[in-house]
Formats: sequence, C-alpha cells, structure tokens
Amino acid sequence: MEEQKTLFIDYSKCIGCETCEAVCRFLYDTPRIAMSRTIDGEIVPLYCQHCEKAACQRVCKRGAIHRDAQGAVLHDPMKCRGCETKDCLIACPYAAFFATCKGVAVAKCDLCKKRRAEGLHPACVEMCPCDAIKFIDRTAIASLKTEASEEAFKRVMAHIRPKKFVD
Amino acid sequence: MSLSSHTGVMNFGFLQTKNAPAINRSVGIIGAGPSGLAAAGLLASQGYEVHVYDKLPKPGGLMVFGIPSHRIPADRISRGVRDLERRLGVTFRTNTKICCSAPMHEEEGDHFAADILGLSDLTDNHDAVVICSGSWKSRKLTIEGSDLAGVYSSLQFLFPIRAIKYAHSNVSMPDVKGKKVIVIGAGHSAVDVVDSARTLGAEDISLVYRRTVAEAPCGKFEIDRIQEMGVSWLEKRTPEAILGSDHAEKLVVHNGVTGEREELDADIIVSAIGEIPTPPFQKELGLENVRKGDVRWLNMTAMDNVFVAGDVLSGPSKIGKAVYSGLRAARSLANWLDLKAQSREAEYNFDADKISR
Ligand SMILES: Cc1cc2nc3c(=O)[nH]c(=O)nc-3n(C[C@H](O)[C@H](O)[C@H](O)COP(=O)(O)OP(=O)(O)OC[C@H]3O[C@@H](n4cnc5c(N)ncnc54)[C@H](O)[C@@H]3O)c2cc1C
Repeated sequence: MEEQKTLFIDYSKCIGCETCEAVCRFLYDTPRIAMSRTIDGEIVPLYCQHCEKAACQRVCKRGAIHRDAQGAVLHDPMKCRGCETKDCLIACPYAAFFATCKGVAVAKCDLCKKRRAEGLHPACVEMCPCDAIKFIDRTAIASLKTEASEEAFKRVMAHIRPKKFVD
Repeated sequence: MSLSSHTGVMNFGFLQTKNAPAINRSVGIIGAGPSGLAAAGLLASQGYEVHVYDKLPKPGGLMVFGIPSHRIPADRISRGVRDLERRLGVTFRTNTKICCSAPMHEEEGDHFAADILGLSDLTDNHDAVVICSGSWKSRKLTIEGSDLAGVYSSLQFLFPIRAIKYAHSNVSMPDVKGKKVIVIGAGHSAVDVVDSARTLGAEDISLVYRRTVAEAPCGKFEIDRIQEMGVSWLEKRTPEAILGSDHAEKLVVHNGVTGEREELDADIIVSAIGEIPTPPFQKELGLENVRKGDVRWLNMTAMDNVFVAGDVLSGPSKIGKAVYSGLRAARSLANWLDLKAQSREAEYNFDADKISR
C-alpha cells in the first residue's frame, strides 16, 4: 500500500495568522481550511484530518465521498446532490466541511489533489509561517504530538464540540 | 531542482509548476513583508524577473521586525527568502527606500535606508510595480504628557528588539530591566509588548484597557495567560494623562467602575492602540478608490501599471490577509500585462476577479 499521508496541525505552534486559509482561498475560492475564534479568543484553523474511519464517508447516502490511493478523503461533486440534510457536514467531528452556497453544496480539503499530481505539497503546509502544519504519514503523527500540542488540541475540540451539547 | 516541499521553508514560491516559461517582463515590488513576498513568489513562478526593494536590512516585514521571535520562527522566513533568490531568481535590494515627497525619518526603521529611489525610477525600469509597504505608523496617544521620555508606541518599543541584531547606531533597546511598565491596549500587539517587556526583565507589568476582558481583541485565553505570569490586568480604565517632569512617572486613568481617578506609577508607558497605513504617495495613487473597489482594474492604483497590496491598502491586518492580497494583486497584474500586450484591456472581467473577496 502507498504511504498514507495526511495533515497534522500543531495548535501550540499556530499563531492564528490565517495564511493557510488565505492560500487555500486563493487556489479554490471557498477555503477548505478555515479560521475560527474560540470563546476565549484563540484563533485556530479547522481542517480535515482525513480520518481512517471517515464519518462523512459513512453517512453520505450518495457515495459521494471516497478515499484515494494515498489516503485522502475526497468529495466528488459529480455524485453529490447537495442534499438538504448535509449529513457529511454534521458528521464531521472536526467541523471541516464547508457549505459553499454555490453550485457545489459543500467543499472539503483534498490535500491539494492537483498539486500532489505534480509532486507538490498542499499549499497551506508550504506557506505556514510557523511550521505548524505538517503533511506526514499517518503513522508518524503520534511522534509529533507534545504536551503543548495536545493541550492546545483539547481547547480546539472543546470549542467545536462543547461538552454541554454532547454527552 | 526539486519542486516538492522544502521543509523548514516558508515557501513563497509554492505556486511554481514544472514548465513555467520565462517571459520577458520585469516587476518591481516595494516592501518585503508577507504581501510583497507572496506577490514576488507568484510572479517569479510565472517566469517574471522580480526585484524587491525594502528600506530595512532584512526582508520579512513585520514578520521579522514586529512580531516577537518566540511566536514566529525567523529562520523559516529567511530560508523562504533565500529560496526565492536561489530557486526563483528574485533580486532583493534592502536598505533602499522608495520615496516621493514624503518627509524622511517618519516611521520606524527609516534610518536603515541607505539608498533612496523615486517611484518613477521603478516605473521607468520595470513593466509594472506593486506597492506592498505595510502599515507602520503607530497611532499615538494624544493625552497630556504623551511626548514625555519613556512613552512609546508598540512598534517603537518592539522594532528595536528585533532590529538591534542589524547593529545600527540609531537603534537602541528600550531599557526595561527592573522597571515598572504599563501597556495600554488589549490587542495582540499589546500582548507582544507585555511578553517582550517580561523577557527584557521588567520588574512590574500592568496592562490597562478601557473595556472588559470579554471585549479584549486578544481574547481571554491570552489575558489569563499573562495574568498567570504575574502581569496585572486593569480593565475599565481610560488613560487621561501622563505625569512626570522630564520623564513619565505616572499614568492617570479614569476607573469606569468606581468613577474614580487613579494614579499608576510607571517608568515606561507603551501604547499599543494600533497602527495606521503609511502609503508613500497616497494621493497620486488614489488609494481611497482602490480600497472601495472603485477602479478599472483589481488592485491597480490611479497610475497605470502600479498595483498595491497588503496592509498599506487595508490598514493593519494579518499575515494571511496580506498574503492573499499580495497573491491577488500579482495575479491581477499578470492578467493586466497579458491583455495589454494584446491591446485587449477592455476585455478584462473585473467582476470575475472580484468574486472571492
Ligand atoms: C506587534 C505586532 C504583532 C503582530 N502579530 C501578528 C500575528 O500574530 N498574526 C498575524 O497574522 N499578524 C500579526 N501582525 C500583523 C502582520 O504582521 C501584518 O498584518 C503583516 O505583516 C502585513 O504585511 P504587509 O506585507 O502588508 O506589510 P509589512 O509586513 O509591514 O511589510 C512592509 C515592508 O515594506 C517596507 N517598506 C515600507 N515603506 C517602504 C518604502 N517607502 N520603501 C521601501 N520599503 C518600504 C517595510 O520596511 C516592510 O519590510 C502583527 C503586527 C504587529 C505590529
């Protein structure tokens, strides 16, 4: 099997500068990595983690979400019917599906599929000023985690999945 | 030559693809902050000959001379700059200020400029110019005593800390060791001043803000963090005057809760209440119209072939916004020269370029 590469953001290195979102927006109009401000004022990018067991893929009734050979979870606009329930958007534990209000109903990260085909890395990884975004083999993520990154990640999760609403 | 990611590099040339043909066009970019570097990367990737001018001794703009180094790794930016030079052939001319009629020594960092060129030197020598000169003039306090010694703006305070490395006789570090420091404001630069003052050995630091923590632009997380470090957080205090004979000694504030007037001891007072844009040649370029989008060509100024991007256009923003603006201005510039080369300017679809704001 090919290397399964995905994104990992070390939120403890991130300064919330929006560069990832900016380059993504420049390339794709609707950014697939998006800044969010937590109640405590931390500004963080929300992004697709290309989960091994992707909830979005499981809930999509149209089979519009699949995984490519390198492990990227892809959304196929040809199969997507832009259903009103937007199950994918709700199922994503990382709030990484984005409603577009345009032709294609939702947008998500494809790890810069076109760029990868040319041997380039995802644009957000290349341009992050703080080296906070890594494009790495899924199995290597654990080695990048630190106490600080885990703490920061927990704060992000508490923001997107507040305890009071989830059991 | 590898196209794939260079670890440890802020890759401004991230758009480079394998078969970009060299084209016989030259562009001058004024300012090597994130907007200028992003524009340089895009244009160089498309085969342009790119020259970047900056008045400071090192490219990077506020990423290098404003934001404290503990938050942004300087190496990654300088490697990105080197990559632009070596891989994409971008030429950097540092210590070079581009001027019109503006008086000298007005903003932080002006004294580094050893060389002064006029905008017309650039328009004469390049097919197009992009102004990416940022927003460096600090908003000053206007209360009584604001011009006493020991009163700084955030950039006056932060700039020398980063610039001292480039040893210049006109740069002196704020002497903070063992002193009482009061910082006014609650944005990210206020927090940066607090962190830097602490690193420099300040004895006692207070942050004074006219509203409450809930309204602080830097957010509660940061306020909590600096309080844990021992910084006093004084909210709902509006500065009214600075007292002192030849040097700041006290900050007088109005306490919005008790309605009382308070005198806070201070050796150093730093106002971090924002920056304002300092475009060279504001009027000639019609920047007000560019801001409103009232132009014939996206990001183009009133002068033909002269474009503008980043904080100089938007006012103080963020690295990402500046990068985006730089990329868009560069794309717009390339489209403009393409159509112009074929005398087809009229076909440019302004609205199509405008959709993604
Ligand atoms: C203290 C502080 C902290 C900040 N923290 C953050 C943060 O955490 N996250 C974030 O996203 N943003 C932050 N910012 C904002 C961010 O740094 C700016 O928005 C961004 O750098 C703007 O980019 P720019 O390219 O438009 O301009 P700048 O980065 O300002 O670069 C402009 C360049 O132009 C040069 N120049 C100016 N005039 C001339 C001239 N006449 N001739 C030649 N050269 C000239 C300057 O020397 C400078 O190098 C912070 C800003 C400050 C001041």
